[in-house]
Amino acid sequence: MLVIGSGGAGVRAAIEAAKYGETLLVSKTLTGKGGCTTMAEGGYNAVLRESDSCEIHFEDTLKGGAYLNDRDLVEILVREAPLRMQDLLEWGAVFDVTDCCEVAQRPFGGQRFPRTCYAGDRTGHEMMSTLIDRLHSTDVRVESEVNVISLHSEGQRVTGAIGLDQRGDLRVMLADAVVLATGGGTRIYDISTNSSSGTGDGYALGYRAGAELIDMEQIQFHPTGAVYPYDARGRLVTEAVRGEGGVLKNVEGERFMKRYDPDRMELSTRDVVSRAIATEILLGKGTENGGVYLDVTHLPRPQIESRLPVMLEQFLKFGVDIRDVPMEVAPTAHHIMGGLRITTDTATTLPGLFACGEVAGGVHGANRLGGNALADTQVFGKRAGEAAGKAKERKKAVDRIQVESQEKRLDTFLRGDLPPSAIARSLQAAMWEGAGIFRTGPLLEKTLGILNHLQTLHPKAASPANLAECCILQNMLVTSSLVVRAALLRKESRGAHVRKDIAQSWDAEHSPYAHTFISLSKEGIEQGALP
Amino acid sequence: MRELSVKVMRYDPSSDTSPHIQHYLVQVSEGARVLHVLHAIHDEHDPSLSYRYCCGSGQCGSCAVRVNGQPVLACMEEARDEMTIEPLELPVKKDLVVDMEPYLDRISPLVPGAEFRMPTADEVEAIKPLRSCIECLSCVSGCPALKVVEFAGPAAMRENMRLSLDPRDSCDRVSESVSEGLFTCTSCQVCWKVCPKDIQIPGKAIEKLRALANQKGLTLPRHQAVEKLVRETGRSVDRTCTSFLEQMPEVVEPYGEVKGTVGFFVGCMYNLRLPQTALDAMEVLRRNGIRVIIPKEQVCCGSPLIRTGQIDFLDTLKSRNINAFVFRNIDTVMTMCAGCGSTLKNDYETPFRVMDINEVLTRYGIDPPARLPLKAVYHDPCHLLRGQGIKNQPRELITQVVDLVEMPAICCGSGGGVRSGVPDEAAALAENRRKEIEKAGADIVISSCPFCEFHIQEHTDRPVKNITTVLLEGYREKDRKGAQTPSC
Repeated sequence: MLVIGSGGAGVRAAIEAAKYGETLLVSKTLTGKGGCTTMAEGGYNAVLRESDSCEIHFEDTLKGGAYLNDRDLVEILVREAPLRMQDLLEWGAVFDVTDCCEVAQRPFGGQRFPRTCYAGDRTGHEMMSTLIDRLHSTDVRVESEVNVISLHSEGQRVTGAIGLDQRGDLRVMLADAVVLATGGGTRIYDISTNSSSGTGDGYALGYRAGAELIDMEQIQFHPTGAVYPYDARGRLVTEAVRGEGGVLKNVEGERFMKRYDPDRMELSTRDVVSRAIATEILLGKGTENGGVYLDVTHLPRPQIESRLPVMLEQFLKFGVDIRDVPMEVAPTAHHIMGGLRITTDTATTLPGLFACGEVAGGVHGANRLGGNALADTQVFGKRAGEAAGKAKERKKAVDRIQVESQEKRLDTFLRGDLPPSAIARSLQAAMWEGAGIFRTGPLLEKTLGILNHLQTLHPKAASPANLAECCILQNMLVTSSLVVRAALLRKESRGAHVRKDIAQSWDAEHSPYAHTFISLSKEGIEQGALP
Repeated sequence: MRELSVKVMRYDPSSDTSPHIQHYLVQVSEGARVLHVLHAIHDEHDPSLSYRYCCGSGQCGSCAVRVNGQPVLACMEEARDEMTIEPLELPVKKDLVVDMEPYLDRISPLVPGAEFRMPTADEVEAIKPLRSCIECLSCVSGCPALKVVEFAGPAAMRENMRLSLDPRDSCDRVSESVSEGLFTCTSCQVCWKVCPKDIQIPGKAIEKLRALANQKGLTLPRHQAVEKLVRETGRSVDRTCTSFLEQMPEVVEPYGEVKGTVGFFVGCMYNLRLPQTALDAMEVLRRNGIRVIIPKEQVCCGSPLIRTGQIDFLDTLKSRNINAFVFRNIDTVMTMCAGCGSTLKNDYETPFRVMDINEVLTRYGIDPPARLPLKAVYHDPCHLLRGQGIKNQPRELITQVVDLVEMPAICCGSGGGVRSGVPDEAAALAENRRKEIEKAGADIVISSCPFCEFHIQEHTDRPVKNITTVLLEGYREKDRKGAQTPSC
């Protein structure tokens, strides 16, 4: 088995796959340090108490997802999240616990029960430490700092991957089954919470190999990203801040959420809170730095220190003591709900290729609940490892034609003329401008035009070691165009996707549409409600 | 935007014979971090610059580099003009990219036992301070011990302590730690001070593991002998000469006007091994208006026991020392041994204030001594610099009497029980000091800790002196000059 990606989903998949046979984990970063799991702060949703139930978690997730979720994937998510939490605990994860030795839980947005398990505000980091620990106890072979630039196929069937090592030398890795666990890609936006590795590689790899992707227009803008200093813009300010009692205020000191969602206030779903903040800022009620206030100064200092230590430390580094002064926040591109279409066994539409974690679509619908992504990595990571592990052994052979085609691709980069970082900056600005929180048909068309133009430019690799940067830029371009094309296909506002140019008479639950879909050979939007 | 002038160490082992420093002028935004300077170099000047980064928010531990010699996370450290950016002190793969994997592999994974038991809230609270490690290896880069001896390093020791606190782990992490070099740590505290997550590895991991090792009978024989001596005599070194305490009255009055009064905690080394240094210090204090009260019943501070994990007798020592000063209504206790000072400040809860002699002298100010025609290099004692945060005060005093040259502040190897327990390592570290001293081209070495002074003196041909001894020499020179000057 070949697992691509070393975040929460990839490492979980590799641990599982190793039970079935020889497994290779390949990561473009140092294993365990890339991806967004390690940055995830708030928590992991799991039904653990008698007074909670999987049915309620299911309903919350569906409602939060604007009913665009695949029901059977959500069913699995809520049923198996507690089991995978138990795996983590048995492997040594240090979650906060109650006085009764139960995993502690806190309230998160859009959920009727406080079911978000946490390790302070470094929950994802705690999970990664545990997973890497566990990975070291398996026979998984790990290749760090190798960029996969193409999947290797035999007809439709995916049979491996072609990668670039740090020196820029090609590596071909063949496998009976390939798990794509490359995470998300909101680095395609100028303002993003993502790790530098969130460049949408998996969407692009899957798309180029012929896989079908769904709902790529559904981009979650996290309501609370840092706004200052400039280079730290977009840095995640965890939802746990609001879960612990933090309140949002505009520059006039008004708790404006009462005008947008008086029942749930700050703990409304992320799409609603993001739009509320963006609207306040557009109305001129934002701060000088272009944000609104997120205030925890009324909370007891020890609560801030023990439950939000990372936030406290990060803001202190930037000269703000959140115990005394409110934070300034604004929406930031966070999560791609869409992705490769998968079955409950994480099989994509291509034989031999499985997908799990953020790169897969369908679990979170049109808006993900905070705390469901970490659970997703473990539930579907495990399923992907198992499915890949059970794949039949096959005779494998390197296809010279595919390798040569990659060599040719790389050769053009050595003869390019523009630094990839310059093209990336244009792309990020265009996406933020034209495919952000509020969208219109004409603006999306214009953005697609810019993307098409950027695709005609020639990124330059200064040396073989810089080739990967050019490949990653192309992944960002492909992912961006998938987002914009899907956004044009969905002629309704739903969840995180808002089309200001379209008036609609239905609410999400009664939408005449289901998934958007895009592959090399077709694109469209499914009619009728989801099964 | 603002322009910064920065230096970056560049090295490509496949083509360069040695690393070199490259100078860049870069434009960055207000509030930019070191990482953004690296991005600016890579994007605008030289795409061949290699460096690692991922999360950009201090959580993944990919981007640690040294800025002006100090390990920092590039993504969190504010960029400054004229800074020098170098890789961590680990094998360099290219430019700022170092080989982290061999060290990361030394961090032990948890091995679940047959039966699962959820940790209690108390256990979680005990584990948490050790758990926020992001494995950036800043501590490994800074650790002096693992550069001269086989040692798994601070990051691995931290995890071993965490595992030994975790009811789910099934291995004997204490014996493992001992075989991985637990007793090679000199307690220099660098690992803690460079840790971006402020994990107190020496106090919360190393010393705790050593205490657990003690319970298993794994304490080194030389350390056991010290413990026995403390129990029997109240002192961690044996008597070879007339002690300082025996030579002194209980109160030492200054020559002139009384500017302040302090109680004096002398410590075992200055009492029994280097009493003359303590006598010199008393003379300097007398000349500067400080009245000194010296309770004779004071005993060892317990530092040699704490550092080696032998803590059974500690409370007895603590109460004897605290009472000795409390009975005399002393509100300020002065130490001149860096180790005692650090222990009284960090391991005791005292009803009085504790000040190092350098703090006392700079606070009250000193009568200027004559300048001596000497070039001195100052060795920062770990327990003064990192244990007490005292860096400028010794320099303020030294520069009043001699010319000062600097050398990097690195442990001499005498602390943490290493001099007695792992003498080869202690010698190797002192040998590194000797080379630095030679490089600095100094006539004398000045320090402010009896362990450092005694240990370094064994390894260098330059005289090693305490600050107060040099000050006293300055005063005597002044007296001599004054006597020669005809009065008219």
